Amino acid sequence: MKVLIIEDEPELAASITGYLSGESYLCETATSFRQAIEKINAFEYDCILLDLMLPGGNGLDILQEIKHRKREEGVIIISAKDAVEDKIKGLQIGADDYISKPFHLAELAARIYSLIRRKQFNNTNVLRQEEIEVNLLAKTVHVHDKPVNFTRKELDLLLYFMANRNRVVSKTALAEHLSGDIADMLDSHDFVYAHIKNLKKKLAEAGATNYLKTIYGSGYKWES
Amino acid sequence: MTRLLNKPLRAFILYSLVVLATSIPAYYFIIDYIWRLQLDEHNQLVSKKTQNELSTLSLNDTLLKQSIELWDRIQPGTALEPVSQAEMRPDSIYTVLRPNKYDPDGYINRFRGLSTYFTLYGKPYRLIVETNVEESDETIAAITVVTVFFFLLLLGGFIILNKRISVRLWKPFYRTLEKVQGFNLSRQQNIEFEETSIKEFSELNEALQHLIEADMTAYRLQKEFTENASHELQTPLAIMRSKLDLLLQSSTLTNEQSDIIEQATRALSRVSRINRNLLLLARIENNQFADRQQIDLSNIVNENLLMLDEHLSNKGIEREKDIDDAIQITGNRTLVETMVSNLLLNAIRHSPTGGKIRVQLSARQLRISNSGSGPLKEEGLFQRFSNISRESPGSGLGLAIVKQVCNRYGWEVNYSYSQDFHVFTIWF
Repeated sequence: MKVLIIEDEPELAASITGYLSGESYLCETATSFRQAIEKINAFEYDCILLDLMLPGGNGLDILQEIKHRKREEGVIIISAKDAVEDKIKGLQIGADDYISKPFHLAELAARIYSLIRRKQFNNTNVLRQEEIEVNLLAKTVHVHDKPVNFTRKELDLLLYFMANRNRVVSKTALAEHLSGDIADMLDSHDFVYAHIKNLKKKLAEAGATNYLKTIYGSGYKWES
Repeated sequence: MTRLLNKPLRAFILYSLVVLATSIPAYYFIIDYIWRLQLDEHNQLVSKKTQNELSTLSLNDTLLKQSIELWDRIQPGTALEPVSQAEMRPDSIYTVLRPNKYDPDGYINRFRGLSTYFTLYGKPYRLIVETNVEESDETIAAITVVTVFFFLLLLGGFIILNKRISVRLWKPFYRTLEKVQGFNLSRQQNIEFEETSIKEFSELNEALQHLIEADMTAYRLQKEFTENASHELQTPLAIMRSKLDLLLQSSTLTNEQSDIIEQATRALSRVSRINRNLLLLARIENNQFADRQQIDLSNIVNENLLMLDEHLSNKGIEREKDIDDAIQITGNRTLVETMVSNLLLNAIRHSPTGGKIRVQLSARQLRISNSGSGPLKEEGLFQRFSNISRESPGSGLGLAIVKQVCNRYGWEVNYSYSQDFHVFTIWF
């Protein structure tokens, strides 16, 4: 899948590229307004990551351009501005998601994954990982065709890991994903461990392979 | 405090009182002096006339004696009598107090007298002429009455004039004062002073205008600085975070290294949060939040509690809630949510394990209490970075944001400690 990263900060673009590449993503980078327009004109992408503050123009104008041409690409705004008005404006023009800097790469990967999935399967998708089957509309999980009862947070975690397969996800990133930006106000991130423990237990009880590995004591990795 | 114009008024009144009081003896002495001068002149004339008349009559001795007796009888103010040559003296003037024989009440009257000696038909005579003068106490009384009357006239005039002047002349000053009193720096609204034809007021307005503009610029720059600095930090923070995430992917990491990365990630999260909160504070101060939505506060509090439920139970904190339904308030949803979640998180973070938190909401107030051991230092509790301690990993801005949000909507927030509970109350 092709992802266009429109971001004037080359180091950040490099990190995103580094994290996404290898796992069925092909990343390209545009570091200025003009370059972004050129790339959009020349190629088609599955997903566009759009920074709003660019040398040579406002990212919202690029978004207007994309929507004006009735292009199919999903757009995720990545902004340092974190202003509610910008977010609302971006979503009104037609962005699919909004993530503010600084973000965890795992969080960005999860958003991209979710966006592409929604676009490709036209909202009726079922995700498969060998014996595990997730119905995203019904919010149900089947293992070996038998239903397993997951809580909302466990399902959320499962999808997060599937979006970050073969990547080490830190406990901090998981805590922030589950609790939003209050995570770092909490004294301990033990609640993450509790949810993961439940998730692993339910999958194991249903007879699924243990894909979720604990790495170095402080991170997790979904191996497939 | 006295009004500005009452100060000179008092001085004017005192001064005029002193001037008028000293004028009383001055008038008296002048009037008395003129009196005496005039009467001496009058007595002199009477004496000259008498002498003249008598010498032109060419009377013989008997007739002269009779005439003198007659004269003395019909001219009570004068006494003419023969004297011996040895008794001749130069003329003299005197003032005497004695009863007036024509005054029915027999009051003591004051007389101005002239005693003169002259020779008539070769014989020496003495003539005394006395004229009644107004007594000094009567003169003083009359002058005092008139002076007091004029003083009262001045007093009344001063008061009326003062009122008129303060109303009309000082109007621009009071208008300026009113505007300056109503000025709020954080609202960033410049003051337009009215035109005035009075030089001092015009200069005052101009000086104030400059001062206010300079103040507003400094304030704006400071806020812009916070906002810009926070913005500028977002990107390097994003890079650092992404690099740490990437580093974690490295397959050769040891356990120890991975722990270091995790610790760095957590610290970085805290920096990000402080930065985000600074930005939020700057935005509230810069009025970047659209206001006046109708919000269901009961809903927000309940949702927040639900979200924090697992954190409460993880810490073994008992929860007690008394939330009235459908409490509506007006404000910005994001800000109100932030305020509620900051207070709740605070309560959770500062409760001991196995503690208790209480959440009460009514139409008039939101009260969030948590068990604690000993009151907090109230001073500076709501100020930025006043309360950072090593064991609480907060941003140091949570309560400052709560305070700022309350200020914005005119709510009152306070802290108290009662029965082993920290209590934060917001009055709407």
